[in-house]
Amino acid sequence: MITFGNVSKFYNDWPALESINLQVQPGEFLVVSGPSGAGKTTLFRHIWMGDLPSIGKVEVAGYRSDRIRRSDLPFLRRKLGIVFQDFRLLPERTVFDNVALPLQVAGTSPKAIRRRVFSLLAEMELNHRRGSYPHELSGGEQQRVAIARAMVAHPVILLADEPTGNLDPEVSRMVIDLLIEINRSGTSVILATHDPRQVPAGTARFLYLERGHLVNPGIWDGYRQL
Amino acid sequence: MIHLIKNAVSEGLLNIRRKLGSFLITLLMVSLSFMVFDIFLIISWNLGTALKDEQENVGIEVFLKDNIIEIEAVILADIMSGMEGVRSVYYVSPEEAEAVFRADLPEQADLLTLLGPQFHLPPSIQISLHPDYRTSEKVGGLARTISGMDGVEDIVYGKEYLPGLTRAVDILEKLVILAGLLLALSLSLVVANTVRLAVARRALTVQIMSIVGAPGWFVRVPFLGEGLLTGVAGAAGSLLLTVAVSWMLSSSVPHYFLPGKWIMLVLILGASSGAAGSWIGMRSGIPKPRS
Repeated sequence: MITFGNVSKFYNDWPALESINLQVQPGEFLVVSGPSGAGKTTLFRHIWMGDLPSIGKVEVAGYRSDRIRRSDLPFLRRKLGIVFQDFRLLPERTVFDNVALPLQVAGTSPKAIRRRVFSLLAEMELNHRRGSYPHELSGGEQQRVAIARAMVAHPVILLADEPTGNLDPEVSRMVIDLLIEINRSGTSVILATHDPRQVPAGTARFLYLERGHLVNPGIWDGYRQL
Repeated sequence: MIHLIKNAVSEGLLNIRRKLGSFLITLLMVSLSFMVFDIFLIISWNLGTALKDEQENVGIEVFLKDNIIEIEAVILADIMSGMEGVRSVYYVSPEEAEAVFRADLPEQADLLTLLGPQFHLPPSIQISLHPDYRTSEKVGGLARTISGMDGVEDIVYGKEYLPGLTRAVDILEKLVILAGLLLALSLSLVVANTVRLAVARRALTVQIMSIVGAPGWFVRVPFLGEGLLTGVAGAAGSLLLTVAVSWMLSSSVPHYFLPGKWIMLVLILGASSGAAGSWIGMRSGIPKPRS
C-alpha cells in the first residue's frame, strides 16, 4: 500500500530524511514517533506527495513519486485522509461545510453529500454542532471534526500528524481510541506522535525517527527505549 | 462533473461575498485606472475622427487653362478618371464655379460684378481619391503627373498640411495601441497583486482544498472568475464614470462618446487583464509539490 524505497530528502543540502526504507500493509496501524524536527511531517508530506523525494521513490496506493503528474495528485489525495495537529479547519465554514469539503471537490451530488455527512457527524456525536463554526468548538470537538473531514470520502489510508498535540490527556485518549476504531474498520492508519505510549501495545507497529533516520527498524517497540 | 463545476462556481461567488468590502475597493481601483484610459480613448477618438474627416476631404483640384474648350476638358477628365488611385472626377464649368462662388461667399459676390462680364472663373476638374491614395506621397505623385498634362494651369491639393495630417493620424493610431498595451499591462499587475493577496489570505483554504483532492482547476477557477469579474466590472464601472464626466462636459467641450466597438474593446481589455492578473497571481500563490 505504501512503499518508501531508499528515500532521502534534502532542503538546501540539509537532510530532512535519509535512506528511508518502509512498507505499510493495507489495514495496518503504524505509529511513527520521534522528537520535533525528526522528519515525521516530511515523511507524511511524501505520502501525500506534497514533497517529492530528492533520492529514491515513494509508492502510495499505486501512484509512484517518480511518475506522478500534477493532474494525478487529486486522485491520490482522495484515497487519503489527513489530520493535522492544528486541525486546519476552515474558519469561515460551518462544521457541516468543513466535513463536506472533500466530497464537494470530488463532485459528489449535494444529496449524497448530505446523507454521508449527516451519518458521519451522528457517528462521531457531532450532529448537534453541524451549524457551528470552528471557533465555537472545543479543541477535542475541532479535532473530531478534522477526523470526520478526513474520513468522509472513505479513504484507504488515514494520516494523523500529531493529532493530540494540542489536546488535554483525556481528549487525547478519546482521539486515539477513535483512530483505533477507524483502523479496526479496515482503514490503514499512520499516526505521527512524539509520545507513542498513547497507543496501547499490540495495537500498532512502532517506528522511531531521529534526524531523518529510522532508528533500529523492526526492533524498536515504542516503549523500551523511552 | 456538473456538480464539480457548480461547486467551483459557488465557491467563487462565496469568496467574493465573504470579502465584499475589499472586492469593492479593488473594483473602484480598477475602474479609476480604466477611466484614465477611457478619457484618453475619447480624446483620441474625437481627434482621430476630426483628422479622418479632414483626410476624407483630401482630393485634387485641377484648374484648367482659360482657353480650353468644354470637350477638351471632358476628355481630360476622362483620362484622369482612368488613373490609378482616382475614385471619381467632376468637371466644374466656369458657370458652375461662379454659381458656387456666389453661394459659398455671398458677401463677396459683388466682386464678380465689378470685374465685368468678360471675367470668368477658370474651369476645373475635382478629383476624389481612393482612401489608400490620401497620403501626401501618393497625392503628390499623382499631382505631378497631372500637372504635366496639356490644358492644366494649376493644381491645388493641400501639400502644406497633408504631410502633417498623414503623420498625425499615423502617430495617433500608434499612440492608442501603445497606451492600450501599457494600460493592459499595468491593470494586469494591479489585478495580479490583488489576486495574489487574495490567494495569500485564503492560503489555508487553498492548501486544504489541494490536500483533500481538489483538482487544480477547481482551486483556480474561483480566483480566475474573480479576476475576470474584477476586470469586466471595473471596465464597465469606468465606462459609467466616464459617461457621467462626458455628460457634464458636453456643453462646454462638444465631443462624441466612444462608439460601440470601442466600448466592447474596453470591456474585452478589462476581462483579459483581469484573467491575466489572476493567472499571474495564482502562479505565485498556489502551492506545487516540492521536488
